[in-house]
Amino acid sequence: MKRLLIIFLFFMFYLIPPPAAAAESYSFDLDEIEKKPYHFGGFIEIKPVLFGLDRDAAFYKLRFFDNPRAQSLLEANGRIQLEGSYEKNIFRIYAKTNTDLKSSYSGESERTTFYELYGSVKPSANLNFALGKKTMKWGKGYAWNPVAFIDRPKDPDDPEQALEGYILATADYIKSFEGQLKTFSFTPVIFPVYDHVNDTYGNNYKLNFAGRLYFLLYDMDIDLIFMAGGSRTDRYGIDFSRNITTNFEIHGELAYVRNFQKNVLDVNGNRYLVEGDAVSYVVGIRHLTTFDLTTIVEYYHNGLGFSGDDMKNYYDYINRGYDAYQTTGSSTLLGNAQQMAEGGYGRANAAVNYLYIRFSQKEPFDILYFTPSLTWMMNTDDQSWSLTPEMLYTGITNWEFRLRTGIIAGARNSDFGEKQNDYRIELRIGYYF
Amino acid sequence: MIKKILLIFLSIAVAAVPAFALDGKKLLEEVDRNLSPESYESYRKLINIEPSGARKEFTLFTVKKGIDKVASVFLAPASEKGRSTLRLGENMWLYIPNVGKPIRITSLQSVVGGVFNNADILQLDYNAEYDVEKVDEKVSEYLLYLKAKAKNVAYDKLKIWADKGKKLPTKIECLTEANMLIKTLYFKDVKDFGGGIVRPAVIETDSPLYKGYKSVMIMAKLKKKTFKDEIFTLTFMPNIESLR
Repeated sequence: MKRLLIIFLFFMFYLIPPPAAAAESYSFDLDEIEKKPYHFGGFIEIKPVLFGLDRDAAFYKLRFFDNPRAQSLLEANGRIQLEGSYEKNIFRIYAKTNTDLKSSYSGESERTTFYELYGSVKPSANLNFALGKKTMKWGKGYAWNPVAFIDRPKDPDDPEQALEGYILATADYIKSFEGQLKTFSFTPVIFPVYDHVNDTYGNNYKLNFAGRLYFLLYDMDIDLIFMAGGSRTDRYGIDFSRNITTNFEIHGELAYVRNFQKNVLDVNGNRYLVEGDAVSYVVGIRHLTTFDLTTIVEYYHNGLGFSGDDMKNYYDYINRGYDAYQTTGSSTLLGNAQQMAEGGYGRANAAVNYLYIRFSQKEPFDILYFTPSLTWMMNTDDQSWSLTPEMLYTGITNWEFRLRTGIIAGARNSDFGEKQNDYRIELRIGYYF
Repeated sequence: MIKKILLIFLSIAVAAVPAFALDGKKLLEEVDRNLSPESYESYRKLINIEPSGARKEFTLFTVKKGIDKVASVFLAPASEKGRSTLRLGENMWLYIPNVGKPIRITSLQSVVGGVFNNADILQLDYNAEYDVEKVDEKVSEYLLYLKAKAKNVAYDKLKIWADKGKKLPTKIECLTEANMLIKTLYFKDVKDFGGGIVRPAVIETDSPLYKGYKSVMIMAKLKKKTFKDEIFTLTFMPNIESLR
């Protein structure tokens, strides 16, 4: 972490350009645009975060039962992403690594992995083949993508973060037409799940097949998506996006998952298996006013999620485990609860119905590159919510400064009310190179 | 006598009105073709200049085909590299490598900030989006009054001052339906790009909505080139840089 800080301070002092004096001559050096067969770049960020802890919340108890903290907790995070590519004729190799660094009460940690590493061949404008670790990023939703069957779930608190891909083989076939159907494309995917190959995804020793059919029809983007093969149960999806007017877009996704299984707890804390077909969907809009206020509204129904009663039984289970630990020192129940958190209860938006509203105002008061925004997310079943005001400044070339606060509120046994924190203050300083 | 008057009137109506309408349209088409071939590739640098003199620069590679297909990819700065934009008629998308999938954007937004918006950056032929309402002929220039063909065009009205000899714009005012000035584009530094393309290499813009701010677009390596339709699709957006 200290090394990251030193690297970062170097960038801060040496690479922030001084403001240039106004001049009327403009130059365009053609060396800048000379194409090289290789590319190297990256991103480095430092992100201190102050958490205001809710010491009565279930997820606080689950995480800190054996190491209680004061009302607040300071954590320093760092991230280094490096990317490189090499291109020759129709061949291309691309790699992107990600290193996460964390310094907190529990010590320092570091995790480095390839987010993407693949080779591709593009014999023509219609056809492209790729093999390796890659993200697919299917779906049209901003905060949620229930049809992204072969992607890791994105963080609805930070939906634009890069994600780690999966190892797969894929192709794109594109065809354009005159008329109402302007574009058709087909993206088949072969997705193996074996030891050390995508083995966290689902059932092992399976070769899965997925695909996306894309149509630009009557000025509407439409995707038909499927996945089958056994690592997860078969699933089918459809999504769409269309501009109703220049400044008003609507989008939606629907996923149908067959024979979905989940472990839930009854009131006595006994696990039982629930199995059945599930439907998840997102509907949303994006609107831009004449004064550059962008509004994004999305409603998410998570058919794979846990009901209010399921969540309450889980919180009760944690509380019973916490009491047992306090009185007997046994952490068995909390260990089970931790496993269940990783199995689904601890995911962001693990419940069923959510509403997401984001306002962002571009360059208010003529402050160029400054974008304040406000994001509100609510569990509509229990009315618990989080509110995230944010200020983003990108006025210095290749630098990004973001200050955000997260306020989390909800009654006991509610989705957001049982989160570990009451609030969070976070500063992110990033540099692209 | 009545027949004579009627004949004169009909002659004027038949001869003058269609000829005027035809001239305006033809003139606008000539201006469009003089600005760029119908299908081309080019490099552009966009510079946003703040009142303090601080600048931010962006470099783009752009390809265009026909009247309604344009795609661009950012080459610099590093924070924007790999972002690409696509326009098919009035449909516009932005692809951000991290986000990984194209999202729909609107013509009035700006992917670069500053005075240029997406409609300026992904400019189609003027005659694809506008009808000529009127042409004023002056000593050394034409003044074309343009009206948007559809409601979803970024600017409802344009006033184009075009050099009479070169038939190239020297200034364009972008206006709302209520004649409110949104921005002014100034075309400067006429340059020979080769292949018979002679056009302004620099476009400056300012806006009463951004007092003291200025944006500049510089063109380089503009050349005629044809592309397959499949280049201008969402699926191809991550690969636009491979066309360089």
